[in-house]
Amino acid sequence: MEYVVNQIINGICQGAIYALIAIGYSIIVGVVGMVTFTYGEIVMIGAFAAYYTFQLVGTNLVLAILASFAASFIVGGIVYKLCYERFFNSPRHISLLCTIGFSILIKNLAQIIFGPDTKPMINIIENKSYTLEAFGISIVIKQLQIMVLVLVIISSVALTFLFQKTKYGIALRAVSQDKTAAYMVGINVRRTAMVGNCIGCGFGGVAGILLSIYYYSCSPLMGSSFSMKAFSSSVLGGLVDIRMSALGGLCIGIIENMGIMISSATFRDIFAFGFLIIVLIIKPTGFASSGKNRRVKSEKG
Amino acid sequence: MKKVKNTIVKYKLFFILAGLAILLLLPLVITKSVYMRHVCNVLIFATLASSLNIINGYSGQMCLGQAGFFAVGAYTCAILTTNYGWSFWVVWPVAGCLAALMGYLVSLPTLRLQGIYLSFVTLGFSEIIRIIAQTWTPVTGGNMGIKGIPFPIIFGKELFKPHDYYYILLATLLLFLFITSRILRSRIGRAWISIREESNAARSLGVEISRYKSMNFTYGAFWAGMIGAAYAPYVNFVDSSQFSLDTGFDALAMVVIGGQGTLIGPIIGSVVVTVLTESLRFLQYWRFVIYALIIIAMMWVRPQGIAGASNSILAGGKIRRSSRKKAISRNR
Amino acid sequence: MMSKNRADAPVLLEARGVCKYFGGLKAIENVDMTIRKGDVFGIIGPNGAGKTTFFNICTGVFAPTKGEILLHGENIAGLTPEEIARKRMARTFQNIQLFKFMSVLENVQIGCHINTKTRMFDAVFQTKTYKKDEQYIAERSMDILQKIGLEEFAEMKAGNLPYGSQRKVEIARALALDPEILLLDEPAAGMNPNETMELREFILQLNEAGYTIVVIEHDMKFIMNSCNHILVLNFGQKIFEGAPEQVKANHDVQVAYFGKGIIARG
Repeated sequence: MEYVVNQIINGICQGAIYALIAIGYSIIVGVVGMVTFTYGEIVMIGAFAAYYTFQLVGTNLVLAILASFAASFIVGGIVYKLCYERFFNSPRHISLLCTIGFSILIKNLAQIIFGPDTKPMINIIENKSYTLEAFGISIVIKQLQIMVLVLVIISSVALTFLFQKTKYGIALRAVSQDKTAAYMVGINVRRTAMVGNCIGCGFGGVAGILLSIYYYSCSPLMGSSFSMKAFSSSVLGGLVDIRMSALGGLCIGIIENMGIMISSATFRDIFAFGFLIIVLIIKPTGFASSGKNRRVKSEKG
Repeated sequence: MKKVKNTIVKYKLFFILAGLAILLLLPLVITKSVYMRHVCNVLIFATLASSLNIINGYSGQMCLGQAGFFAVGAYTCAILTTNYGWSFWVVWPVAGCLAALMGYLVSLPTLRLQGIYLSFVTLGFSEIIRIIAQTWTPVTGGNMGIKGIPFPIIFGKELFKPHDYYYILLATLLLFLFITSRILRSRIGRAWISIREESNAARSLGVEISRYKSMNFTYGAFWAGMIGAAYAPYVNFVDSSQFSLDTGFDALAMVVIGGQGTLIGPIIGSVVVTVLTESLRFLQYWRFVIYALIIIAMMWVRPQGIAGASNSILAGGKIRRSSRKKAISRNR
Repeated sequence: MMSKNRADAPVLLEARGVCKYFGGLKAIENVDMTIRKGDVFGIIGPNGAGKTTFFNICTGVFAPTKGEILLHGENIAGLTPEEIARKRMARTFQNIQLFKFMSVLENVQIGCHINTKTRMFDAVFQTKTYKKDEQYIAERSMDILQKIGLEEFAEMKAGNLPYGSQRKVEIARALALDPEILLLDEPAAGMNPNETMELREFILQLNEAGYTIVVIEHDMKFIMNSCNHILVLNFGQKIFEGAPEQVKANHDVQVAYFGKGIIARG
């Protein structure tokens, strides 16, 4: 029982990071209207930006977050220019392949620039854990986990504020709902889509830091497995629905850790994908209500 | 350009026979085993890419997990021949059929899923197959893989040299091309293409799209399984890392660079990509950078690929202006 | 065929109390319709009256929320478009949906799909069935193109044709199904008066040849001159059904089209 509860807590923590990745991903998919395969690499860029910030400036978390947000933001802009802008009216597989190409590009450039090895991340927080005694169960929470959870919550709140309260956020939401209508009311759709894409990428970068801190490492090839998690979570949440995607990320995190409990850690991904496929077969739109993402579904592909 | 095309069409039979003769005599010309290996690699990837082209190019579905079907074929062959001593010639069609069955199962959600969701299911499927291969140690050898897969024996001769194995791979590709071209010339092929071009219209004409999509998927998976089964004895060793998503993406890149929706496209693509990546091997990571840049450049310049179907929605959704003007003036 | 007494002809397609709600929006409310063999049946109504929605319900794109669609007395409500096409009901689309990148001939060939039986096995071994089918397809599609007068464009990409001809290709493709009943969704939209005239002639010819035709159209003149029976929809409800002269004289129809004020003054 104790083990179960602790696994669930691990799951929540991991799920929170997945949720952050998924949030960024579904912002991109929503605003751009196309699916991306570069996202994992952007997460990796975020992690490396943090790694080098720690190397150069020392353990300054705020600075690292800013640096990785900025780095991912810029790469997001390049992705937008290369892979999306030209292809808004083309069949979807074209931009999809562009993003696959771009992901190969970044992955290999990263191996050239950063070196192919896995780099250890500095311990930025004391490896201390708190033990709670409740109902005769002792629950262990690491300080690191608390920090990660707090950061995820802060970024989600910031994002909610951005989307609900600022003019720009409202424009972003408008673009993600209906590009033509947004264009009609005078929103610069292309620029908004670009900024939205960059913001989504920025969140991916922040998630990248958290991942590298959580696993104490970062490597040029870390992207692909996390991008799979991002796809899974946001597909689970109906692709464009940000809140549901976050929920999807949480679910995947928890299910993975529950899965590890009954088998071994190597099967982790099977549980994530198996769960995803089952949900898709039962309810193709994921957790989101079916009407909301009719647009994405009806696109040809 | 058009002249060239017309000449090719006019002497089609001659070109086909000449091509066949060259292909059959190729092992006599290329004496070095190393080069022959590259030729064999081209053939393997050409068939794999072609099988993907059936799905992506002809019915316009977006399968991203072709590596999964390839793995099913390869592992079936490896397990049955190595551990159970079955003859390669029996295992071969069995592996194809098993992959086809997998393809059918994966395609079942297509009855409900469209577009990108289908891509995710195939992606997830491919990863699940890979992870199973990596972790189910008693059967698949886990991380160790399966070593010493017996070579096929024909007329008492063991085909282990690339020069001999070449003919098996060539036969697979030619058989594939022959059967597929016949299917494409029937109402089945037309139904696939109609689904790609305009699925609503196809439905209104009575094309049962879910049935044809699923048939298309099964057929594509079958050939991926066949070439997977032929691949396993050729490399003599399979492990899960050979069937990562990147293998699937490589096949996809070949289809896209060579051209979707034509039979020759993926073959050209596999030649181009293999020659490029092999000849640039000394550049290490830079060769993948070049490879990636080529994919992106291809999408910008010629989205239907080198030899892709220009008479298709794959070409970027635009009809060429000049031919349109001509049509209008002719009409008047 | 039109000149005969309409009431004697057998009922082909019938709608009974069809409703379609999108959430709270009542797109179609309790519509009845009877189409008899040999009709040129018009469906008219102001913009947003639910004509196309009603059409889509008949052809299986939507399932009705309530009510029945009967084809030869058999309920087809809720069947998929492909199943309905197999029951020999063909349609065209308001926004032309051709296989634009394929040749005109290929477009029509795909239309022959349901009349052929080739399976994978037949195709691979080129059996008798395959040969028979291919011959049938080749002959039938050329035949249709000739009838419609498109044979000189047979090899041309459908998307390259002028608008009027594209409409014709769509009709040709639908005819390849060998349908009993042909549903045309705004066939004259975007055509100039000459083309519209030609189209009218063409539809009447088809009707002579034995096809039952249902037309949605905005162009009143077109409908009044070609149809023998008209259904008028407004706000998703049937406001009138009858012969063209009756429609013209009907007060509700005038109100729907011209508004109350003008009628009162005029």
